[in-house]
Amino acid sequence: MGGLLQNIKLPGDDIPWLEGLREKGRCVFAGKGLPTAKTEAWKYTRPRDLQADDFVLETTAGHECHCGSNCDCEKTCGEGSVMPFEAYELHFENGKLQHEHLHLPQGVTVMPLMDAILQNEDIRGRLGKSFDLQDYPFAALNTAYLEEGVFINIQENISPDKPLAIINHTHARHDNLLFNLRNVIVLEKNSRATIVEAYIYSGAEKSRYFANVVNEIYIGRGAEVRHYKLQNDAYKAVHISLNAVKVKAGGNYEAFCLQRGADLARNETHVVLAEEKARAKVDAAYHIAGWATVDTTTDIEHLAPETTSEQLVKGVAGGNARGVFQGKIHIAPHAVKTEGNQLHKALLLTDEAEIDCKPELEIFADDVKCSHGAASGELDEEQLFYMRARGIGEDEARRILIDAYLEDVINRIEEPAVRDWIAEQARQK
Amino acid sequence: MKTPILEIEDLCARVADKEIIKGFSLTINEGEVHAIMGPNGAGKSTLSYVLCGKPGYEVTSGKILFKGKNLLRMTPEERAREGMFLIMQYPVDIPGVPVTTFLKHAVNAVRKHQNLPELDTMEFIKLVREEGKKLGISNDMLKRPVNVGFSGGEKKRLETLQMAILKPRFAILDEADSGLDIDAMKVVADGVNAERNEHNALLVITHYQRLLNYIVPDFVHVFADGHIVKSGGKELATELEETGYAQFVKEK
Ligand SMILES: Nc1ncnc2c1ncn2[C@@H]1O[C@H](COP(=O)(O)OP(=O)(O)OP(=O)(O)O)[C@@H](O)[C@H]1O
Ligand SMILES: [Mg+2]
Repeated sequence: MGGLLQNIKLPGDDIPWLEGLREKGRCVFAGKGLPTAKTEAWKYTRPRDLQADDFVLETTAGHECHCGSNCDCEKTCGEGSVMPFEAYELHFENGKLQHEHLHLPQGVTVMPLMDAILQNEDIRGRLGKSFDLQDYPFAALNTAYLEEGVFINIQENISPDKPLAIINHTHARHDNLLFNLRNVIVLEKNSRATIVEAYIYSGAEKSRYFANVVNEIYIGRGAEVRHYKLQNDAYKAVHISLNAVKVKAGGNYEAFCLQRGADLARNETHVVLAEEKARAKVDAAYHIAGWATVDTTTDIEHLAPETTSEQLVKGVAGGNARGVFQGKIHIAPHAVKTEGNQLHKALLLTDEAEIDCKPELEIFADDVKCSHGAASGELDEEQLFYMRARGIGEDEARRILIDAYLEDVINRIEEPAVRDWIAEQARQK
Repeated sequence: MKTPILEIEDLCARVADKEIIKGFSLTINEGEVHAIMGPNGAGKSTLSYVLCGKPGYEVTSGKILFKGKNLLRMTPEERAREGMFLIMQYPVDIPGVPVTTFLKHAVNAVRKHQNLPELDTMEFIKLVREEGKKLGISNDMLKRPVNVGFSGGEKKRLETLQMAILKPRFAILDEADSGLDIDAMKVVADGVNAERNEHNALLVITHYQRLLNYIVPDFVHVFADGHIVKSGGKELATELEETGYAQFVKEK
């Protein structure tokens, strides 16, 4: 048992570059420690309590299900699918990849991260190259423990017929599990793929696990990724994710993240539009209650001319919950004719719920179009009355209006099957 | 002996600390159609909101019995389930909620209250399409969010559709004719007339005689300064068309 940074033996410690990278992660995290009230990037979302908690790390690449035969995770541990739509499914159980044989189409590679490190030369030039450790304390921690995760490569001109779904299923435990996942996703020139990421939890226990995730996504020239995520972790859990994305000329990154669970969560997306005409759409929604703090942070860097980005983030906060949105758009000198738009809207259901919103525009080029906006409000009394005047009970009317609030942002999901699934997940529990 | 549906006695009500309804009394029996006419700002819409229980509309004195029960003790949804209905002067937009979803919730809430089995999706869709067709409401419109981007006429048709589906005992039409062309007004009036029977009743609020040619009232009341200042038969509406309200409005 111990804190966040523990000395454990990891596989591949005889590979110098890998051990060097882990060591760098350890040093950065040890040096900086957890963000404090003074850390600007974390001023609204305080990772309180994490220091004090005892965390358990498991390192042996476990293949078996940790829970007994009476566990309801059979459906995820066993064969078969959990997603309500056709997908190539990869299952993680309590942070461990379950090895299953996938019949993947030609030109699509999916392998455990450690296998890729041992076999694939390309990964060395990708791992840890999409972001700066100094800026992301939890990604540094993740790097210190580099081991679990997947490597996905889509070859030139290939587009798999179904989404690739990375399903992270956590179930009740008595101790506090810390798991670090690192996924490296590479799309070669003119390829396209849909990646679905789901974090789900089962079990009645008030499990305080900590899911610490880093996705490194490289989008080649003219390639496109649709990245859809559901965060529905246990209500005492901590979920922190960094999506570090690099987009080359004419490439497109389209993301949607719905956050529903966890006690403390951040989904942070850093997109570098590195070359001309690269595009990004980074949408998100959250629907939270209780005492949760749920954070959506974006940083879109326009480094080249004619790059575009748009973001629509909508949230519903009830109880004593707190929704945080921090959105930064950076336009570098010479990145002319770029366009960056951002809008955050939130619905507050109680007087105790809170929204913190910090938009930031850094524009160093001329001839650009940029906008940002934020609004928060309560349920519309006129709409509530209209519904009640037709016989719909007050609670039901509220529920219908809350579900409707997230409708427009969810409708921006391009894939109908994924859209329906997200819409279902977003509904009032 | 006629059975009263709505009995309003010496009602006073205010909104935003402003006394709007001042000693209003009216009894409406089963099978009757009453019309209320009166100048802008007299308090006609306020009266209809008070009857439907809109939050913020405070009754300061008087009493209202609906089918013999104390209306003022009921929540807006209870009133609706008991058969109170209002065609609103300004129907509300509800982005994100399709007409069918909204109507299905409403009809089943009302049916449940009346101990009727809830309609399943098939039954409901069939009903709503049939009724919609009579009012010239396309299936396409039924899929759109409630009132969002609807024209004035479409909004009033949708209100009438809701009335046809919820089958109220007592309906208030608050300027159901405003903003409608002649044909649309006929459609709405026909829709409303189709729902009439000897057990329900209507209160028609309008500025124009025109609508009353289609929905013929048994009684016409002139409403000014928060109460009824004159009552008569349907000929009173024609009379008002010529004289205006000047004689009823207090010199300021
Ligand atoms: N929420 C409110 N706050 C303040 N004043 C209000 C409010 N609602 C109504 N009033 C006032 O009450 C008075 C009566 O309004 P009401 O809408 O009932 O009139 P009306 O008779 O329906 O008029 P119209 O013929 O124009 O529809 C008006 O002076 C109006 O400004
Ligand atoms: Mg009015």
